[in-house]
Amino acid sequence: MANIAAQRIQREFREVIKSEEVAKCHIKLELKNDEYTELKGEIAGPPDTPYDGGVFQLDIIIPETYPFNPPKVKFITKIWHPNISSVTGAICLDILKDQWAAAMTLRTVLLSLQALLSAAEPDDPQDAVVARQYKEQQSVFRQTAKHWTYIYAKGPHREAELEAKVSQLRGMGFEEHKARVALSTCDWNIQRATDHLIS
Amino acid sequence: MDSEEEMYDESEEEEVSDDDHNMVMEPEVSSTTATYDSQDETYPHEVLSPEMIVQHMIDCIKDVNTIVELPATITRILLNHFKWDKEKLIEKYYDGDQEKLFAEAHIISPSRRGQASGSSNQVSVSSTTRSTRSRAAATGRSADCEICFSTLPTTVMTGLECGHLFCEQCWSMYLTSKILHEGISETISCPAHVCGILVDDATVMRLVRDQRVRLKYQHLITNSFVECNRLLRWCPAADCGRAIRVNYVDSKPVTCTCGHRFCFSCAESWHDPVKCFWLKKWVKKCDDDSETSNWIAANTKECPKCQVTIEKDGGCNHMICRNQSCKADFCWVCLGPWEPHGSSWAALQRYLHYCNRYMNHMQSLKFEHKLYAKIKAKMEEMQKHNMSWIEVQFLKKAVDVLCQCRQTLMFTYVFAFYLKKNNQSIIFEDNQRDLEQATEQLSEYLERDITSDILIDIKQKVQDKFRYCDTRRSVLLAHVHEGYEKELWEYQGSL
Repeated sequence: MANIAAQRIQREFREVIKSEEVAKCHIKLELKNDEYTELKGEIAGPPDTPYDGGVFQLDIIIPETYPFNPPKVKFITKIWHPNISSVTGAICLDILKDQWAAAMTLRTVLLSLQALLSAAEPDDPQDAVVARQYKEQQSVFRQTAKHWTYIYAKGPHREAELEAKVSQLRGMGFEEHKARVALSTCDWNIQRATDHLIS
Repeated sequence: MDSEEEMYDESEEEEVSDDDHNMVMEPEVSSTTATYDSQDETYPHEVLSPEMIVQHMIDCIKDVNTIVELPATITRILLNHFKWDKEKLIEKYYDGDQEKLFAEAHIISPSRRGQASGSSNQVSVSSTTRSTRSRAAATGRSADCEICFSTLPTTVMTGLECGHLFCEQCWSMYLTSKILHEGISETISCPAHVCGILVDDATVMRLVRDQRVRLKYQHLITNSFVECNRLLRWCPAADCGRAIRVNYVDSKPVTCTCGHRFCFSCAESWHDPVKCFWLKKWVKKCDDDSETSNWIAANTKECPKCQVTIEKDGGCNHMICRNQSCKADFCWVCLGPWEPHGSSWAALQRYLHYCNRYMNHMQSLKFEHKLYAKIKAKMEEMQKHNMSWIEVQFLKKAVDVLCQCRQTLMFTYVFAFYLKKNNQSIIFEDNQRDLEQATEQLSEYLERDITSDILIDIKQKVQDKFRYCDTRRSVLLAHVHEGYEKELWEYQGSL
């Protein structure tokens, strides 16, 4: 079984390298070892989304039973999205679970993840905090997601106002990422974020 | 040909070049015949051996096929879709939209199948390559398999009626992975993305060569047949492998050929007088509370704080550790802090009262099974002392009655736990007490007095006692049943 998995990844890898998406820098795939069991994926944030201009890295583990079972994929780059855990990078996407089909490929997975960034499914959330914000405060959500893209995924949009708030909490002695998570969680209300960090 | 490996009669199959492809199944004619337990005559049931289960499944398919005239493996998928309710299938098949029915059951309607497949349920290689729905890029005589990404001759490409083609090797690995690693059988679909068309048995048998996988597949199919079918239930006894078949579902006792007697409705040991619903609630409660009730077994405990061993010398369960450096304040029963206790104490005591008795009878029942061996030896000995075979049978009968009484008593405590106090419940408790006393006396006679040498004396004593027990047990059950009919019982806790 391991044989077909490796063989398939080899062939898939060659296809992806040649594909037009790679040419346009939309997706990228790299091998992490010679056994074809671990790969690094990369997707560009889709245009007209808060992720536009960002580059998101993914950890891909190929199970022995691939392609009959889906690859294990998670985000390495921190991201603010209702279907992706802001803590672990775990992804909630049907094709990575029960809707996986043997005829799908890593290319289709990467493209599906890109599609997920364009169209979140807040009713089927992985990260309940982000999903709530997405549904209740769309503009705060977009700003937060842009800010995270800028900080963690080399995005182009600086959110100066948000950065100032993070610095303010850092000045109080909180660690930067923790401060950002608390502020993001509390819709950038400094007082509530501080309480959140203390409790 | 190993008969266990084969499943359906596929006389219509086109590719019969390889004998192994043929799926003629002739189940062994089993020596196990249908048995009706005289005790449970009011509820007719039949014990099916593993071979008979397969035969029964084939018969069901044949029955339906005389009417709908579809390939057997398609009928199997349809029947599975309707949880093996033949009438419902036939009703929907003739009254409703057939196309919709096939779509819901995840099969391609036979009317839309390629002409080449005709009456066959199997996609022959030539028919699928002709299919225009094929997603595989058929270029001349070779095509790409979307699973292994190899370019292969079209002759090794195959698929279901949906027309998605993959190479035979990938199909085999795909099916093996689903059957062996995921343990699924009747819900395996075409490996193409968003194609839900189900794989039929003939395809599995055609593409999987490994005997181990084929056997596992057949076990899974049989299992789903029994589990989906309302009128069938696996015998819950360990390693039994037989199933019970009934004509209508009821919470009544059934007896398997292995001797296990259980409730058809909930599969627990036969639990008269308590109803399935309350027993289920009770079993769950016991599981949840097992920590609290375990204290009964132990005489000493350790202080939850300083771990010093403590013996409780009486009275209240509010413990204060005497270890001067500790002085922990805790509850003897749960070993948790004392604080949350108090009013809930009475409820716990009440539960423990019933739980204790339930557990005691369950434990004793286990011991009584050992008694059979002892009694048998005794019976042989008595026959040597000029008693006839027929004269010593009373002993076995006595143990039978004892076990029945224990079992009934066990469940009376579950029944009583949920019962609200009223005039009828007082009568019930009197009956219960009376039966319990008599049962304990009978138990004592059989345990001890049987060793005495004056056999004639004890024969009378034992016979009188077990007859009394038997009568009292009937009286108790009749009273409970009467109460069910006349709705005399009131329950604590919601239904």
